Amino acid sequence: MIETITLSDLLPKVFDGMQHEPAIARSEVWLQQSLTFSRGCRISIEAESGGGKSSLLAFIYGNRTDYLGTIRFDGRDTSSLDIDTRCGLRRRSLALLPQEMRLFGELTVMENILLKNRLTDCKSEREITTMLERLGIADKADTRADRLSIGQQQRVAAVRAVCQPFDFLLLDEPVSHLDECRNREVASLFDEEARSQGAGIITTSVGHALLLDNLTVIRL
Amino acid sequence: MTSHTSTSAGAPVRHLLRRNISPAQLIGYAVANIVGLSIILTALMFYADATITPGGSAGTDPYLSSSFEVISKRVEGIGLTGAAMFTPAEIADIKAQPWAKRVGEFTPSQFTVNASVSLGGRGLSSYLFMESIPDDFFDIHPRDWDFDPTHPFIPVVLSKDYLALYNFGFATPQGLPQLSEGVISSVPVTFTITGVDGRPVTIPGGIVGFSSRLNTIAVPQSFMDWANSRFSPGAPAVQPGRLIVECDPLLSADMDRYLIDHDLDTSADRADEGTGRIARFTAIASGVVSIIGIVISAMAVGILFLSIWLILQKSRSRLYRLMLLGYSPRDVGQQLERLVALINLGVTVTAVAAMFAARSFWRPALADLDLGGASALQEIAVAAAFFLVVTGANIATIRRHLHRLWLHGA
Repeated sequence: MIETITLSDLLPKVFDGMQHEPAIARSEVWLQQSLTFSRGCRISIEAESGGGKSSLLAFIYGNRTDYLGTIRFDGRDTSSLDIDTRCGLRRRSLALLPQEMRLFGELTVMENILLKNRLTDCKSEREITTMLERLGIADKADTRADRLSIGQQQRVAAVRAVCQPFDFLLLDEPVSHLDECRNREVASLFDEEARSQGAGIITTSVGHALLLDNLTVIRL
Repeated sequence: MTSHTSTSAGAPVRHLLRRNISPAQLIGYAVANIVGLSIILTALMFYADATITPGGSAGTDPYLSSSFEVISKRVEGIGLTGAAMFTPAEIADIKAQPWAKRVGEFTPSQFTVNASVSLGGRGLSSYLFMESIPDDFFDIHPRDWDFDPTHPFIPVVLSKDYLALYNFGFATPQGLPQLSEGVISSVPVTFTITGVDGRPVTIPGGIVGFSSRLNTIAVPQSFMDWANSRFSPGAPAVQPGRLIVECDPLLSADMDRYLIDHDLDTSADRADEGTGRIARFTAIASGVVSIIGIVISAMAVGILFLSIWLILQKSRSRLYRLMLLGYSPRDVGQQLERLVALINLGVTVTAVAAMFAARSFWRPALADLDLGGASALQEIAVAAAFFLVVTGANIATIRRHLHRLWLHGA
């Protein structure tokens, strides 16, 4: 279980040498001496395009390491984590909804979700169907993912993201293609799932924010 | 933070990977490799069968087994005693040559021998010489080839040439009967041995066999050792004048060069010259066929590596997405590793079966030559080594690729 995520002097390597530029200097994330996200938090990281939102989540999730500074889980430097530990975290502690969704187009909606759920054995098929119904895509369960609209794919990815136990839910522009109504439905699903586990939510947006109450906004 | 436990990737991963696997590529690999490995194993098996008797010993058939050469120093003019003997250093040098598989020394007798026989009422007697060589250099293995001083009997092996000389060169003009090997073997021979003390000792003996390899009158090494110490006590050991060498047929050209360079002669065993060439030819033919098999197999293994690489390249994005979901490189590689191991196992088993099938064709023919008794264990070990090495290398490639994918992304 991860109780806290702490960022210290974090900066994408691509920004190295730009430390004194206004965008970096003003950032409430980059180069902060110590920025801690605790379990149960509701954080919205907002920035302009190219600000490094996706990079930040990838650094925390561990699929990118091209950064300066340190990221600590409960005080432990994540750069020392081996592959097995990382995989374990991805199954039990960190849930990610990537901006590109990364669904498997050749698999059906249900197969895509089961691909994650088989690994974690977290939800029953009934519970998955209920979540799809809540988001209005239950009728697409047997449709190939590449036949869905981007908005529908985003909702499939949202269901898949919560098919695991987690301490932090990392959402990269999770509602960028959803209308306000669907945005609220998705936000409510995330909130319920996180609340039931006492988990935190860290979401990013470029203006199309997740409509969730009590979000603490941080400027990247 | 809990550590990861390996989970079977299961059906969805299999389903995803199958889309990137080309059955034609893998079948092509399997067929090519079955052909290549079968050729290698069959060539090795044939060579082993062609040189090993059913009892498991080196074959006695001179056409396919190693060739033996008897080496002596060239005698110029009238040789002085000792000049044509091999020194220990010279023997050691010959033993160190790559073409010399084994070297045996002829031990000369250090006493005089007179042999007498009684044939049809006529007594014949003659002074003789005797030599011995280690028993395992004989091309025949007569019964009772040993000497026991408490029940002395000297078994003798004669060169077949001597019998031919007697029958066709001596007996006919002298009006004596020609003799078969069987008749000669039944004639008792009395040996009178005189040592340094000048007192003759009579010991019974007999001719127990005829050799086409040894151009001498051979007695067991045990008799020679006993007799030399008994009849010439204290005399320094005489260095051998002749050596018998089991040669590697593949290196006989090197041997010829060595003999010329060192002014050595192969006066005896010339009958084996043709057979040595056949042995050499068999070894070369098996070698060439094995090399063809190795080339085909190497190309087939190349195809497999290429196929694996293509599958991994085509699946890069999918594999990476699976890892993002929490699948470990081990999980996503397991399906591919299992597939590769299964194909390689199939290839190995089929090639071994093909080798045994091919063997059933030549075995009856070789059995007539008292050959074909080699154990197939060596060939099965080669097949197993192929399976382990190629599969191990394949799995290492897959793991390395997936590890890089984990570290650097798709």
